[in-house]
Amino acid sequence: MSDKRRIGVYVCHCGGNISDYVDVEQVRDAVKDDQDVIISKNVMFACSDATQQEIIEDIEREKLDGLVVASCSPTLHLQTFKAVAQRANLNPYQYTQVNLREQCSWTHRNNMESATEKGIKLVRAGIARTRLTEPLTNIRIETKPRTLVIGAGVAGLRAALALADLGLAVFVVEKESEVGGWTKKWGKMFPNNRLGNDTIEYLLEQVKQRENITLFTDAELIEKGGNVGDFSIKIRVKEGETVSLDVGAIIVATGFDSYEPFDGEYGYGLNGVVTLPQFKEMVDKSNGSLNFNDHQVKNIAYIYCVGSRQPEDGEIENPNLYCSRYCCSAAVHTASCVADIDPNINQYHLYRDMRTYGKYEVMFENAGKKKSLFIRFDDESSPEVEVSNGALIVKVNDALDGGEEIEIGADLIVLVTGMVPRENESLTNVLKIPIGLDGFYNEIHPKLRPVETVVDGVFISGTSQGPKTLAESVTSSLSAVSKSAALLMKGYVDLEPFIAEVDTDKCVWCGECEKSCPYGAIEKVVCDTKEVATIIPALCKGGGVCIPDCPEDAIEIKGYTDQQIRSMIDALAKEVA
Amino acid sequence: MSKVNPDFVEKISGFTEFNAYACINCGSCTALCPMGIDLLPRRMFRHVMLGFEDKVLENTEEVFSCLLCKMCEENCPKEVPIVENIKSIRWYINRDIFKLGRG
Repeated sequence: MSDKRRIGVYVCHCGGNISDYVDVEQVRDAVKDDQDVIISKNVMFACSDATQQEIIEDIEREKLDGLVVASCSPTLHLQTFKAVAQRANLNPYQYTQVNLREQCSWTHRNNMESATEKGIKLVRAGIARTRLTEPLTNIRIETKPRTLVIGAGVAGLRAALALADLGLAVFVVEKESEVGGWTKKWGKMFPNNRLGNDTIEYLLEQVKQRENITLFTDAELIEKGGNVGDFSIKIRVKEGETVSLDVGAIIVATGFDSYEPFDGEYGYGLNGVVTLPQFKEMVDKSNGSLNFNDHQVKNIAYIYCVGSRQPEDGEIENPNLYCSRYCCSAAVHTASCVADIDPNINQYHLYRDMRTYGKYEVMFENAGKKKSLFIRFDDESSPEVEVSNGALIVKVNDALDGGEEIEIGADLIVLVTGMVPRENESLTNVLKIPIGLDGFYNEIHPKLRPVETVVDGVFISGTSQGPKTLAESVTSSLSAVSKSAALLMKGYVDLEPFIAEVDTDKCVWCGECEKSCPYGAIEKVVCDTKEVATIIPALCKGGGVCIPDCPEDAIEIKGYTDQQIRSMIDALAKEVA
Repeated sequence: MSKVNPDFVEKISGFTEFNAYACINCGSCTALCPMGIDLLPRRMFRHVMLGFEDKVLENTEEVFSCLLCKMCEENCPKEVPIVENIKSIRWYINRDIFKLGRG
């Protein structure tokens, strides 16, 4: 590229954050006579309003076509200076931010000479990249005002209602023949003893009252094409029929599975050793008294954390390292229900740590008042379940009594099992959304982007994302609703233009790039009788994994071309005179 | 190895209902005891609730050393009726072990 460029360079003091450790004047002077550099200045705070204005005036007066600000991390101020460029009618993609603070001054506080030398190289690399920038425009996509919700448990149904009330059409797909998931199966639920089935009946009644919700049961999502704002999907409904729909966003609310203990785990398989959901069903169905094997139950021992918080270096393959959040509260609440049925039942809770957090702590206190006895054991000494003279016993070291070994005879042993990810392989393959180390669907950022996935327009909610209480599931599903509605009600979506581009002269369509793309963003087209690869702009993330796989070197990422990267490396490698 | 005996607490409850289920084993009672009794009331109550009669009786002297000053009870974060519970244990030992009061 021989065209002359006109680049402005601003080297920031950041008060003293940069200038105390990097000689910013020396950096400014080192690059001021470099090729295509029209302006090289020091500024006290580049992000200050006055300096932003100064940069805008410089761009307009000097007709700059490239901008470099050497200041802090792009995470902090990339958007700030892109907006500065835009206000000065300079294409924002012709701006480069050089990280002189986090990656230079703060990391080299003890050697100003070397830090300054590195600073000069970093700024030169920024200039080199800017010299080869081209104006780019965002990719704008018109959105369809419809959402697909996968799963009609409490999270999915609640999401559907909220979307419908925002004026969006909703399609709900449920794999089972009836709605409600786990919640429908349960009786009294904490914290207010409302029956699970009542909750579902209420939600279903509300769904029926809304014309813009369509519910498919015995149905499954089998195909997803298109892109954010405009997905074309196929749903398999009863008896091999399929339905094709266009939707703008997809909310995944597929829920969880309950942990199934392995044979012999805390005596699982012995008569009288049951999981929490099995026990909950017994309690829900009991009428006046709690019986097991035709005998009235007198003593119950609960063992907590079964299938959760498993040791990383123990004998269990692929251990569940996470806490399932809901089980402590659910078990304590169930014990309270048991005491209401028969206050004379002795209940022993063998726990590692009691996590009835937040408002649920009250339930823990109340369980104590209803004669539940809590026995803590250390991680290293798990309880042991045995049969002695035809009766179940649990042995445990009571950590609250100096580790004294005690033996409890129990009519029932309840394994307080947690949540595990649901087996959803075919759906995961259709959606192409990532799974975390724990096996649940993975969000982009646990704090700041908790329901978004790397696939734009596909959101995760409820326990498909990780263990949650019912209240937390609803919170998460409504969060997915707001993200989905924010996307669709605007009518369009703008995507960054850093995507792959195929040189159709070089491309011979070998298909290697299509195989390497995790987002399905590459497909084959015929271009002037020749088969070549093409990029679907809305699906491409600019990840660049296709580039090294292309034997013809025919793919580049806009904004980060090979030529740009090479020029940056050259600038970084060049000795500072 | 001690075997849990849920019936023992019923025997203790003859005087008033023995009630220490709210205890969270924080140890405030032990720390505040002016007699410096190491055992009472936290572990003693646990032994009652678990039904370890022998362990309760091993510590008969401690049970009767208590001044009933209520320093522990006043400061118990879970409002366990500590003094009433100790009286219950004394009542049980007097009646069933020392065979007092029944002519």
